[in-house]
Amino acid sequence: MNEENILEVKDLHVDIHMTEGLLTAVRGVNFEMKKGETLGLVGESGCGKSLTCKAILGINDKKCVPSGQILFDSEGLGRVDLLSLDQKGQEIRSIRGKEISMIFQEPMVAFSPMYTIGNQINEATRLHITKDKKKSREISMEVMRKVGIANVEKRYHQYPHEFSGGMLQRALIAMALVCNPKMLIADEPTTALDVTIQAQILELMKSLQKDFNMAILFITHDLGVVAKMCDRVAVMYLGKIVESADASEIYANPQHPYTRGLIGSVHKIGSKKEERLFSIEGTVPLAMNLPKACGFYDRCDARIEGLCDKAEPDLVEVAPGHKIACFNCPHEACRAQRAEVEAVLKGEAIPKKEEGGKA
Amino acid sequence: MNKDNILEVKGLHKRFTSKGVTVKAVTDVSFNVKPGETIGIVGESGCGKTTLGRCIVRAYNASEGQVFYRTKAGEEVDFLKVDKKKMKEIRKEIQMIFQDPYSSLDPRMTVLDIIKEPLKANFPKMPKAEMDQKAKAMAEKVGLNPMYLMRYPHAFSGGQRQRIGIARALVIEPQIIVCDEAVSALDVSIQAQVINLLRDLQKELNLTYLFISHDLSVVEHISDKVGVMYLGRMVEFAPAEELFEKPMHPYTEALLSAVPVADPTIQMERIPLKGEIPNPANPPSGCYFHERCHYCIDKCKTDSPALTEMPDGRLCACHRAKELALRGFAYEADAKKEGC
Repeated sequence: MNEENILEVKDLHVDIHMTEGLLTAVRGVNFEMKKGETLGLVGESGCGKSLTCKAILGINDKKCVPSGQILFDSEGLGRVDLLSLDQKGQEIRSIRGKEISMIFQEPMVAFSPMYTIGNQINEATRLHITKDKKKSREISMEVMRKVGIANVEKRYHQYPHEFSGGMLQRALIAMALVCNPKMLIADEPTTALDVTIQAQILELMKSLQKDFNMAILFITHDLGVVAKMCDRVAVMYLGKIVESADASEIYANPQHPYTRGLIGSVHKIGSKKEERLFSIEGTVPLAMNLPKACGFYDRCDARIEGLCDKAEPDLVEVAPGHKIACFNCPHEACRAQRAEVEAVLKGEAIPKKEEGGKA
Repeated sequence: MNKDNILEVKGLHKRFTSKGVTVKAVTDVSFNVKPGETIGIVGESGCGKTTLGRCIVRAYNASEGQVFYRTKAGEEVDFLKVDKKKMKEIRKEIQMIFQDPYSSLDPRMTVLDIIKEPLKANFPKMPKAEMDQKAKAMAEKVGLNPMYLMRYPHAFSGGQRQRIGIARALVIEPQIIVCDEAVSALDVSIQAQVINLLRDLQKELNLTYLFISHDLSVVEHISDKVGVMYLGRMVEFAPAEELFEKPMHPYTEALLSAVPVADPTIQMERIPLKGEIPNPANPPSGCYFHERCHYCIDKCKTDSPALTEMPDGRLCACHRAKELALRGFAYEADAKKEGC
């Protein structure tokens, strides 16, 4: 594991056992996160971005079985593979909520309506920092002040229904940050909020990231939010990362046909108005009994018949920090992969490896 | 009523009373719509945009005001005053597309039945075969495979369900469609498909859209004119490009500055708003926005500004609209629509 990295996800799979059969929702995801950076995980619903995050924290549903490796640079335990830990054991509990915490999508649902806000924030403090009631309350209130909740003495004793959506999201952030985590997973934290509140929350997260020196794994489908928040972006499609690069690079120079389509289908205010938006035809297929082909084959406008429907491209690096998984790409690394795969398909070469596990 | 307009909303109010508390959901909203136009209505949650849409289809009865509508036959009616029988006729011409494609379709009806339902309700005497044929033709038009019409909604994806909702609204050949957050629940790539479909249908059938949404980039793309609402009032109403390039109301300016743009090279400086949206049951005195406004003067605290016409024909409800130079989006030189 690299010194700079706080998290390395290696060949992560998540299988869901359903009555209809086995659904592989995450199919070999590899990425790493540096300390203090923001990585955006972008994709449409059902592409496996939420399951990837839940696998990191070990809070997946019973039906979902993760496999692979998730290496985390923990303070208490050193380098540890989170998946190898007992998901209900003491060790993961010392990481979950303390070193890695999570902000959920809907602040209205994430809080219990039966307890006061202060009580719920305090839960994490008492569990991880101090058992002392007075001290833990002070710590909780301090964090509430930090996230911009006014009149904390009164707010601490209020119930979730007395908070507005934006304030609740602030409280949720306070709850996530109270133990000073090294890594924060934010699963669509602003999707349920209005644009003006969204802008406030995003700015708050940015400034808190500096204060706490956190790495943020930011999950969203909103490309505007990604542009504002993220240092690096990984685009997921059908359980795989199809492209990853620096944020500025991915907007200026998207390489994978899916990324191009995704960016093209969002209208930018102030840009030339096309009569029609660019749209990707068709819909995301169900990740069950997938053929051995590129997952995007059916919807792709740059597919190569006889190649893309027979083999699946691996993620290869085309420029420093820019990786894509596509056969039809003019870069040398992609062409090399294509030649190799074509040779295998013709039966001229022996397949090196069955499944792609290249990082 | 002006000859060119298909719809004129004048001084529309809607109040809800519960437990002795009156909430003014919509206060004094007026605007005009020409046939074939798309009017975007934007604003934050709770600003009354959905209530306004529902008043216009008369799902709610407005508390006060007038909504003039020109029927297909060319007749002018104030449909807040018409009787039930007449209203039934008018309903055929104004339809609605709903936000959530999952809850707005009856799970126990086949898709064909869902699309046929408005025909059954409005043209009970129509022969069954004709109904089937009309429904099938409409399904094809919105891009649904006619083979799948005997299936139930659960078998369809979100984008396809929204197509079903669109087919249902269009099958009785309405003039006006109220789209209440019609694409908000869809994924980005599917959103683009549905927006393209709505535009194609508009051209083909000469439809008028009232497009209610909180997504400003979608509204900018699809609308000819945009109305901005705040706390039940319409604060600004103007052609889309003008409004986005040069907003006149301070609230519009703040709203635009908060929109995340899908381009990391554009980093707009956000204009922070003080405080939160006030409680609509107890709105502030004077201009509803004055407590949060950076340009507030003494007059704003006492006098409520009316939506007035500016020299260039735009509407704005602000005492200082003429003197303020507010910041909007920088448009590329050739970005404006030509004669559209």
